[in-house]
Amino acid sequence: MLGIEDCVTEAMAIPGALDALLIDQTSGMAVAVGGGRDEDVDESAAALSETLRAAMDGLALNSPGGTIRINDMIVTADNGHHLLRPMETVFDGPLVIYVRLDPERSNLALARHRLRSISGRLVTT
Amino acid sequence: MESVLIDLAEDRVTGALRLDEAGTVYLTDGRVTYAESPAVPRLEDLLTADDRIPAQAVRQARQAATEDRPGGERLVGQGVLTRGELEFCVLSAVLDAAYFLSGSAAHRRGFRPGDRHWLGPQWYFDVAGLSRECERRRAQLDRAWPSGELDMLPVAPLARIPAQRVVLTSLQWEVLVAADSVATPAELARRLGRPAYSVLLAVRRLAAAGLLRVPEAGGRPGAAPIGTGTPAPAPQTPQSSQTSPTPQVPQTPSAPPALPRRPKTTGEPRAGGEPREGAVGSAASARWLPSATGDPTDVNLLIRLRNALEALT
Repeated sequence: MLGIEDCVTEAMAIPGALDALLIDQTSGMAVAVGGGRDEDVDESAAALSETLRAAMDGLALNSPGGTIRINDMIVTADNGHHLLRPMETVFDGPLVIYVRLDPERSNLALARHRLRSISGRLVTT
Repeated sequence: MESVLIDLAEDRVTGALRLDEAGTVYLTDGRVTYAESPAVPRLEDLLTADDRIPAQAVRQARQAATEDRPGGERLVGQGVLTRGELEFCVLSAVLDAAYFLSGSAAHRRGFRPGDRHWLGPQWYFDVAGLSRECERRRAQLDRAWPSGELDMLPVAPLARIPAQRVVLTSLQWEVLVAADSVATPAELARRLGRPAYSVLLAVRRLAAAGLLRVPEAGGRPGAAPIGTGTPAPAPQTPQSSQTSPTPQVPQTPSAPPALPRRPKTTGEPRAGGEPREGAVGSAASARWLPSATGDPTDVNLLIRLRNALEALT
């Protein structure tokens, strides 16, 4: 069973992790930060929740029923692999865990598995 | 309110700062650990909203809470929720209350040293961080829809929308399902067990998407529904041309059944639509409601009244 800070610490322990953030998707707020960066965290958090929202909107329109439930989202880019995983919470929805990985030192499948395990221990739903 | 909090934070005090009727802020060693306001749902409401956490467990934890073993530890110990969930819930509730407290001008304040919240400290906020987040939230609301005109009014979805397809978030869906043209965003938040700020943001985004009725007094360029191929109705009479011919409400499955409405007897000439008396009645009366409930003092009075009634039972 994890607390919010533990969750980011564990995300940073994923091999190859460069950055980790826990984001409140509704307000776009950075709830917890890993990786020792502290400037423009709020901006990153807001931008990442917009990224996820845009993906949800686009995929919802593209799906037969018009609804979508994203389990995780992986974007590989020049500056690394970006992994986002929304977690449903009972109070306010969703809390998103984000981690950026060094493409040279990371294993995407392992990272995705670890992220799923972290979210399973952070929320019980 | 902020200056008082900064002073208290510098003195590293522990206790509760009561701000008139606006709410209470709890500090632990100079950091904010809890905040509550009658304008937002209580933490208990958020926790028990979808019945996953039994209300009984929360009540017992509250009653059994002591200084050594506060209610939060008890809840986590019982396994009804994880530490992370409790922390996030407290975080949501405190930021939600802080947002509405920061906008209030409380004249009478009282500080009770040593007073603690039953949950115990679960998350620590510094005063500067809190006010920064409130500022950010205010800016975010304004980006979504730059007007507070809908914030205190009943949420009234359009019966027919000027678009072929709509994408909603799950919270926007909840808001639309619960909206009955009577409940304000704050009341919907309580009904849904969602933070008031989140509901407010959802309402503003729905308004920006042109899915809600906006008061006619607005007259701003953005007030007309957007994203439509057809020209927007004339700005002077958006209400009468848009909403009165369309029967309102019955098809929205509102969670608690709406009270039977009194037929409208006085005042206000209705624009158009005489033949449809029955069908239009609810929409029309809801449309005139704002003049009575839009005033924040009315809303605050009702909230206090409700709290007092709840305390009696």
